[in-house]
Amino acid sequence: MEQKTNGVILKLNNIEVMYHEVILVLKGVSIEVPQGGIVALLGANGAGKSTTLKSISGLLKHEDGEVTDGSIEFMGEKIHHLSAEEISKRGIFQIIEGRRVFGHLTVEENLRVGAHLRGTGSATKERLEMVYHYFPRLVERRNIMAGFISGGEQQMTVIGRAMMARPKLMLLDEPSMGLAPLLIKEIFEIIKKLNQEEKIPLLLVEQNVKLALTVAPYAYVLETGRLVMHDTSEKLKENPDIRDFYLGLSDIGEKKSFRHVKHYKRRKRWLT
Amino acid sequence: MEIFLQLLITGILVGSIYALVALGWTLIYKCSGVLNLAMGELTLIGAYVCLTFYHWGIPFVLALFFTLVIGFILGILTEIIFLRPMVGEPHLAVIMVTVGLAFFFKGLVMLIWGTDTVVFSPPVFPIQPVFLGKVVVGQVFLWAFVASIILLVAFVSFFKFTKWGLSMQATADDEMAALSLGVNAKVVYALAWAIAFMAAGVGGTLLGNINGLNISVGYLGLLVLPAVVLGGLNSIPGAIVGGLVIGILQNLADGYLSRFTPGGVKEVFPFAVMVIVLLFKPYGLWGWVRIERV
Repeated sequence: MEQKTNGVILKLNNIEVMYHEVILVLKGVSIEVPQGGIVALLGANGAGKSTTLKSISGLLKHEDGEVTDGSIEFMGEKIHHLSAEEISKRGIFQIIEGRRVFGHLTVEENLRVGAHLRGTGSATKERLEMVYHYFPRLVERRNIMAGFISGGEQQMTVIGRAMMARPKLMLLDEPSMGLAPLLIKEIFEIIKKLNQEEKIPLLLVEQNVKLALTVAPYAYVLETGRLVMHDTSEKLKENPDIRDFYLGLSDIGEKKSFRHVKHYKRRKRWLT
Repeated sequence: MEIFLQLLITGILVGSIYALVALGWTLIYKCSGVLNLAMGELTLIGAYVCLTFYHWGIPFVLALFFTLVIGFILGILTEIIFLRPMVGEPHLAVIMVTVGLAFFFKGLVMLIWGTDTVVFSPPVFPIQPVFLGKVVVGQVFLWAFVASIILLVAFVSFFKFTKWGLSMQATADDEMAALSLGVNAKVVYALAWAIAFMAAGVGGTLLGNINGLNISVGYLGLLVLPAVVLGGLNSIPGAIVGGLVIGILQNLADGYLSRFTPGGVKEVFPFAVMVIVLLFKPYGLWGWVRIERV
């Protein structure tokens, strides 16, 4: 088994996802996450990024969605038919978008719920120390109800909560959403550190493409449920379409005209 | 003044039983969103089970313990058989299932134990009253209070300090996020019903010790509603305070108002309070503000 995986921890083979048995949201998406690496998943609103994450973590089934074709392999084992609980037992944890803390529990209680599947006294304490080491801001907030702390601290709580579970793969859904630029920088530095020091592979969904391409060495681009491009971040940054559509960059001094708009539309159509 | 104190203290003692049952009710609502109208029947079953054990000659404390165990098992079975198939169905349908459960359980009790009033014999608690200063209290009330408080403390520490307790609260807060951490929602629902059954059973047993036991003990299940509305439907401390307040109000109404009426003030008063609370604080004292459409 181990040899077959070739250092790839997660592999999506041409998956197709349907909601309510009629709405086709993903059409043939293939993604690979290498052991210990960071991979970014980019795309506009409604492209299917969150759906991709949910199909990996199994949460899809709770929204009446289903992987109807293709397969998802985690460490050489097919997991797309397993329940969310079974998948988290194998070590995949999704951090769902929107900073979903348990608002009526304290920060520390939030973290302890994260250790739900790994619940033994001394080990939990050790993990808590580890989380507080990476997120020192949370130490002084530990006994405050998580609903009352700031957005950045909530994002830290949510990431720390997933860390409590000793993840073998973390799926991060838009950690930068609605946060101040400085905080985003801080959080992304911690994420990078987590990846380097704890060797946790990450699959990162991000709207902030510039940021995502600096953190992740490899990225996939989704558009309306289809994979349209995947390459190393260096190459993607140079790609004229990515520069135009996602980074908002075009060659300086060039005059914009209606032709450019038409060009955009044409390119867009070509992409999808 | 003495009369007031007398009424107040009796109210608190009885209110502690309501608090216990209200906690069970709130737990189900909080964790699974099910508005349980069968709570009174859960108390009935617990009370009769305990009485049966007691009449077999098992010491009361042990009988109460067995009642807890049976309550736990019945709670899980009820959830699996009746409520689990309804997950994701409209609220109203689920509420109707609990109404059906209420009739089912009531019928079951009448079938097995009949409809006559039965008492714990020999009486579990000594009949001589206790004097707390100038206030006279029956020992039954005092022990019922002690038992309720012990159980309340046990349940609250379960929520605060154990893994599954925390996970239950987490599920109540945000089910999707709890799922993403590997919490099994089915186990959480089943546990909520198990705890509700246990709390209700003990509440029913204690009340049965005070007044004797017949079908009307199930009325307690309705009294829980004003208590939880007062406290806020999904607040555990709210349910406990609500239960105590309803107990006190009921006794005060009985003491001061019943002579102006042909009777029944005691039964009506908590519901009048509930309506007033709903008018001014629709989310209760500690309830979470969120919009529910049933």
